[in-house]
Amino acid sequence: MVFVWLTAFFLVVALIVLVIYQLMCLADLEFDYINPFDSSSRINKVVMPEFVLQALLSVLFLLSGHWAMFLLSLPLVYYNYTLYQRRQHLVDVTEIFNQLGREKKRRLFKIVSLIVLLFLSLFWLSGSV
Amino acid sequence: MQPPMGNERPPPPGRPVSAFVPGAAVPPPPFAAGGPFARPPQSGATAPPFGAAPPAAMGGFRGPPPSQGPFGAGPPPQGPFTTSAPPSQGPFASAPPSQGPFASAPPSQGPFATAPPSQSPFTSPPPSQGPFAAGPPPTSPFAATPAPFRPPPLSLAQPQSPTGGALPPPPTYARPPQTQGYYTGAPPANPQFPMSRPAFQQPVQTMPPPPMGPAATFGNQAAYAGPPVGGTLQSLVEDFQSLALSSAPGSLDPGVDVKGLPRPLDGDEEPVKLMEAYPLNCHPRYFRLTTHAIPASQSLVSRWHLPLGAVVHPLAESPDGEEVPVINFGSAGVIRCRRCRTYINPYATFADSGRKWRCNLCTLLNDVPGEYFCALDASGRRYDTDQRPELSKGTVEFVAPTEYMVRPPMPPSYFFLIDVSVSAVRSGLLEVVAKTIKSCLNELPGFPRTQIGFLTFDSTLHFHNFKSSLSQPQMMVVADLDDVFLPLPDDLLVNLVDSRHVVESFLDSLPNMFHDNVNVESALGPALKAAFMVMSQIGGKLLVFQSTLPSLGIGRLRLRGDDVRAYGTDKEHTLRVPEDPFYKQMAAEFTKNQIAVDIFSFSEKYSDIASLGSLAKYTGGQVYHYPSFQAPTHGDKLKLELNRDLTRETAWESVMRIRCGKGVRFTTYHGHFMLRSTDLLALPAVDSDKAFAMQLSLEETLMTTQTVYFQVALLYTSSSGERRIRVHTAAAPVVTDLSEMYRQADTGAIVSLLGRIAVENSLSDKLDSVRQQLQLKLVRSLKEYRNLYVVQHRIGGRLIFPESLRFLPLYILAICKSLALRGGYADVSLDERCAAGFSMMILPVNRLLNFIYPSLYRVDEVLTMEPNKIDASLKRLPLTFQCLDTGGLYLLDDGFTFLVWLGRMLPPELVNNILGLTLAHFPDLSKIQLRECDNELSRNFMKILRTLREKDPSYHQLCRVVRQGEQPREGYLLLSNLVEDQMAGTSSYVDWILQIHRQTQS
Repeated sequence: MVFVWLTAFFLVVALIVLVIYQLMCLADLEFDYINPFDSSSRINKVVMPEFVLQALLSVLFLLSGHWAMFLLSLPLVYYNYTLYQRRQHLVDVTEIFNQLGREKKRRLFKIVSLIVLLFLSLFWLSGSV
Repeated sequence: MQPPMGNERPPPPGRPVSAFVPGAAVPPPPFAAGGPFARPPQSGATAPPFGAAPPAAMGGFRGPPPSQGPFGAGPPPQGPFTTSAPPSQGPFASAPPSQGPFASAPPSQGPFATAPPSQSPFTSPPPSQGPFAAGPPPTSPFAATPAPFRPPPLSLAQPQSPTGGALPPPPTYARPPQTQGYYTGAPPANPQFPMSRPAFQQPVQTMPPPPMGPAATFGNQAAYAGPPVGGTLQSLVEDFQSLALSSAPGSLDPGVDVKGLPRPLDGDEEPVKLMEAYPLNCHPRYFRLTTHAIPASQSLVSRWHLPLGAVVHPLAESPDGEEVPVINFGSAGVIRCRRCRTYINPYATFADSGRKWRCNLCTLLNDVPGEYFCALDASGRRYDTDQRPELSKGTVEFVAPTEYMVRPPMPPSYFFLIDVSVSAVRSGLLEVVAKTIKSCLNELPGFPRTQIGFLTFDSTLHFHNFKSSLSQPQMMVVADLDDVFLPLPDDLLVNLVDSRHVVESFLDSLPNMFHDNVNVESALGPALKAAFMVMSQIGGKLLVFQSTLPSLGIGRLRLRGDDVRAYGTDKEHTLRVPEDPFYKQMAAEFTKNQIAVDIFSFSEKYSDIASLGSLAKYTGGQVYHYPSFQAPTHGDKLKLELNRDLTRETAWESVMRIRCGKGVRFTTYHGHFMLRSTDLLALPAVDSDKAFAMQLSLEETLMTTQTVYFQVALLYTSSSGERRIRVHTAAAPVVTDLSEMYRQADTGAIVSLLGRIAVENSLSDKLDSVRQQLQLKLVRSLKEYRNLYVVQHRIGGRLIFPESLRFLPLYILAICKSLALRGGYADVSLDERCAAGFSMMILPVNRLLNFIYPSLYRVDEVLTMEPNKIDASLKRLPLTFQCLDTGGLYLLDDGFTFLVWLGRMLPPELVNNILGLTLAHFPDLSKIQLRECDNELSRNFMKILRTLREKDPSYHQLCRVVRQGEQPREGYLLLSNLVEDQMAGTSSYVDWILQIHRQTQS
């Protein structure tokens, strides 16, 4: 059990790092430190890994039988899935400035929910230890 | 030019009001109008110092010197009146710092200081009232009158009546008891005002002294009822316009005078009058604000429901004699502000006896380089101002030194990507293209550095080696579409001078080379990749000639077609956006490497312009669409437009940035370009046929400056290989009054911006809701305007609109009915809709207006006239079927097509003479071509066409002939362009006005 929580903890941390990285790219773009081409290619590189990790996390919760945690992480997976279905998961380099606000909001929202997950898994981790 | 004087002069008590009235009334240059009007009484009333004033005024404008004199003399005597004077200064603050006396603004407040409380609200934005500064002060007189605002008619009615009666067309033009509207409007906007008013009473009451004294209470009104009748009257009349819409209850007659509805039959009205008020601004052909009055607060912005922004046309063609001066600073380097990087401009001021200059955008004090130093005269103006265009003209071009280059200036280069599949061969496209390119070789810009290259493709890619040592071009075929490679490292893009003979022999043989080609496939995607590899080192212009839907390799497109079921659902817009992200990615790559893409599309079937066009959209290119291209009919059009595309002056590898003063910021941009950072537009190639629009937002809740400056800077490489910076500078006053914003509104710019926003919205929304949004904006703005004048509301059944926006309702109706936004599935084919949308995103204001509201002329009457009188007697007609007489010959010109409409009762000889054939024997008019025949009528007719085409060389209008009653061609060619008529599902102009009116009242 400890192992599950430990894995979950690291997964969540990795997810947070990825999302923060994307946010930083967007912020850099906004303040004109990097150009849109670099910014979008950097972001797009980590989008799929993020989605995969997120899915892994949910699967982990599901298999280990932590229903509450699974349900908590499900919305994010579903959200990622719909984005992918609509092919909106990658940022569009040509329109990136028009979508800047929206993209940032999306990721801030993700961060918040990931942090909730982080604290919960920390709590469970300490509990199981 | 007197403007400054007009208000600055110490007006007799009545004056402020009078200044204010015309100010309120006169449409564009409030000051100009204020001036003349103000002058007569003035010169009489006031002392000599002012007699000297007028000429000075101009200087005062640009800055200090002359104006200062009079003022220097002025202040003392002015004592009491200064009260009203200072604020008025605002607008002219165009050159504020320089204004010696006023620069030390405080004095201006002095007067108010007499009424301490009042001061507070105003000090923050002291003379915020700008030109209308006349505004607040005059308030006071009214405030002084007993029950000034609420039950106004009473107090005002009296003075009013004379003016009202004198009005020429009293019914149509409601002469407002302006003042009222003015105030009623203002209070909600700014709660401070009511507070301040009482405070003002005192100083002003003390004012009434000398000249105007007689009618104590009504002195003010007397002032405006009295003096220079002509000017005043006119300005009063123009304050706002209204349309009587009252209909007798129960009657079917809508009660609207159809003929009296405003129609823009003179085309676009450039706000040139602003040039008088702001002579240092660049010409409006380069830069137009949607309203030449920047709102001072967020609350004002939110009440201005129309877009706030600008239309920039950086390389607009200037008429002969007004060429843009080119300046080389030499060793001094380009002079720019250290902090905000603004270029030196006429509004910059000099200080410290010429050793420093103050940036007008960010007010930073910069050093003047030694080489650029020049002494100042007594007024603080440089002695050499008139010799230096950058200090005296709003539009200049600087030669950029090497710091402005990341690489040596590129040579102009043209790469042609030509689809040679069977449809291109059959339609005769190859022949026209090859001939046209050959004829342009001499005129390609940038001789002798010009580079040129060709790549043809069908299901394979054909590279052509133009090595100068060859006598014939070599063709190399690459069939591997998945992994495109270049068969040669170079010689695919070659110097035109060196390889001229090879290129010519290629162009000669091109039509024959593929004459028997029966390949129907088109591998556009791989061809684009190949072209990218060839061009990526240099950049330049890529011209794509595509005659089918791309069907092979990466970037192949589905025949997703025009699905009728999609219309009216949430999926509708997906038809209008690129299907495959490949095209957007390619576009981004192209921009990065300074490649601009122009798309020429010729398919008779669906060819997904929406996807192809995105290549042009993000690279500063252009989309040309020739549906069902056939060389005999469309050949001329293609030839001339391609010729224009190749030979017009083009700016290469350019970037554009618009800087503006503190407090405002450009947020969204609309046009064909790619944003490289939040405010930097990357334009691989830009030319005189492209305009850009942008929206403005306020960063601060309250603007403290009196004037906002804008500077458009386009850094580019000219065809001759020189790095240049074209700089346009403009100033606009900050106002606190909504009615002033309406007065200074520029319909052309508003329509242009609204049209672009609507086209962009149509990419993410249903056409129907896009049109509703447009209507909503119009209704909201007119409603807001109506509320400004709510007191005159008793004119019940009238639609009130500002004079400056009198054409707006019609134009918005026309946008809704434009090719890009009209109807639904059956009305326009998807490709045409998208192509029109792409065109609307780049058209300059005047061409856009002509596109959405085409010109209609009656031609048969003028054909028999003397050839040289014809031009003058061509008159535009309203776009309604009622204007069409069955015995007439009409010409409709929307900038892209000429439509010749033959009335049923037209004498057959006339038709036969013009068409050069007997109509009865030629039933299919769609194939007809107009040629000059050997008779007077035909010669005159062709002359008319030529003159109209010369007016706008950017497109060649294709001439189509349609007979009255010829269905269905008449329907979609002509009737759908008669925007004032009712069509299926759309309202006529009258209905539209009624609808708008109803909604503004609710």
